[in-house]
Amino acid sequence: MLAVPEAPAAERPLLVASDIHRHFEGLHAVDGVSIDVAPGKITGLIGPNGAGKSTFLAVLAGTLPGSSGDIVFDGQDVTAWPAYKRARHGLVRTFQLPSEFARLTVLENLLVAAPHNKGDSLFGALMGKRYWIGDERRLVDEARVLLNRFGMSAKESDYAGNMSGGQKRLIEIMRALMLRPRLLLLDEPMSGVHPKIVLEIQHYLQDLRAEGLTILMVEHELHMVERLCDSVVVMAQGKVIGSGTMATLRRQREIVDAYLVG
Amino acid sequence: MNTYYAANLLIYAGVDIIALLALNLQFGVSGIVNFSFIVFQAAGAYTAAVLSLPPDSANGGFQIYFGGYQLPFPLPWLGGAVAGGLLSIPVGLVVLRKLRSDYQAIALLVLSIITNEVITNARPLLNGAAGLALVPPPLSDQIDPNTSSYQYFYVGLTAVCVVLVFVLVNRVVNSPYGRSLRAMREREIAAVAIGKNPVQLKLTVFIVGGVIAGLSGAILVGFIQLWAPSVWLYPETIILFAAIIVGGRGNNVGAILGALLVPVGFEEVTRFIPTTIGPPGLIPALQWVAIGLLIIGFLWFRPDGVRPEPRHVFDGAPVLEDVDHARGT
Repeated sequence: MLAVPEAPAAERPLLVASDIHRHFEGLHAVDGVSIDVAPGKITGLIGPNGAGKSTFLAVLAGTLPGSSGDIVFDGQDVTAWPAYKRARHGLVRTFQLPSEFARLTVLENLLVAAPHNKGDSLFGALMGKRYWIGDERRLVDEARVLLNRFGMSAKESDYAGNMSGGQKRLIEIMRALMLRPRLLLLDEPMSGVHPKIVLEIQHYLQDLRAEGLTILMVEHELHMVERLCDSVVVMAQGKVIGSGTMATLRRQREIVDAYLVG
Repeated sequence: MNTYYAANLLIYAGVDIIALLALNLQFGVSGIVNFSFIVFQAAGAYTAAVLSLPPDSANGGFQIYFGGYQLPFPLPWLGGAVAGGLLSIPVGLVVLRKLRSDYQAIALLVLSIITNEVITNARPLLNGAAGLALVPPPLSDQIDPNTSSYQYFYVGLTAVCVVLVFVLVNRVVNSPYGRSLRAMREREIAAVAIGKNPVQLKLTVFIVGGVIAGLSGAILVGFIQLWAPSVWLYPETIILFAAIIVGGRGNNVGAILGALLVPVGFEEVTRFIPTTIGPPGLIPALQWVAIGLLIIGFLWFRPDGVRPEPRHVFDGAPVLEDVDHARGT
């Protein structure tokens, strides 16, 4: 093994993706992307439509298998892990399109994501309510704290399918938080959301970062990226064409040409 | 109304209720479109039959089948349940892992047709198209099955199974596990993203449903004492689906109502239509038309069924304006 002493945890990247490829019948949607995600930071992933950002995010989360490449999350090689196992270990994604569980209530949407519920197995369920009600009550309290924080307490018993686009986004973020993620992968969390809720989501994300959560987000709205992200990765045609802070990226001619202006 | 007719009605109702509670768990709660459901009921019935029948050389060898173990009650019923569960494993592993849900439905429908064809034509296995007859009713060596007290006894046995299955299925549906199943039904990819393993969830529910379906077949065959391919043709599954849609997908009480309204009520009511009307076979054909109209009518006008899936409201929730389907948890 390497004799080099390990870097302190705070500086070691939480996620290292190396040479990720994803081909669709000859189309190279992701073509050799390598990135490091620093812990406790918000990293932005930007680029024109069709750059492969969402595909790359899906490969990281495992909801889409990669064609090749390695993904190391918190020191563990998770490349061969199925998506649900990555989620259980704290690598949690959200979706570009609303993906609420429509015929579950808002509160249930949160509860269903919570790990460590004794009733969430066939055995536990057959044992009856007394066996799991303790866990359930604890998680209901936990979920209500989140609902309160995101201003959705009044909606807890409504079906998630009846919520507005922005509220569905919030539900999805809260649902992901119930898993106690260590890295949150957000796929355009602001798309199709009312400007007022965009501001709210922005504040929530800043709060979450302040609490130490690491976030990697795909986002189109550059002002938002500038305000939120500590560093930014630019993708075009399946490749990384630059990275750094928005200020440094603005000074790079080819990136400005490719994406930042028209 | 004589005793036999009443017992017959009650036992059919019990068997249909048990079957529909299983199908509701698979289809209503978990979203698995199991178009081969009747095959698992048949597996339970055949297994219970060959476990309770004497070897096929008995009765002059007029029917041929494997097994013939003459096992005492309740082993044939338990065997039927186990057979339904065991058959679910290979079927589930093949169908539920890779296929998308609409293709799963087609694959299961085809499986149902193929299985029926094979059992019909491979006579040495289970006596082919003629099926198995003279299946000994449970405990028939101790109580004369031709008495009305035996009929009531059988109704009682069926009722015990109905209650047992209802309690267990209710526990599953109303638990956090049931919530995971509903989440998977709503949006599988999002369920994966929050750490659910859909293959494991579906396979488990498929096996549990198979066990219950097998039990329902075992109960039925012990009462009617015969079992043949003609009683488990694939359209029987469609009737059960109609019952779930009418009763209310995802609601166990709805499944019971569906059992009473469609397979029991519908068949009993149409029984009284004189068969002399029109050409022969008109009334049975119209029954199928009516089942189809029933499904379409409900999907059109009342897609949630008579008893829609309850909304789960938790203690301490803000007061709802619409408390129609609210229920304390």
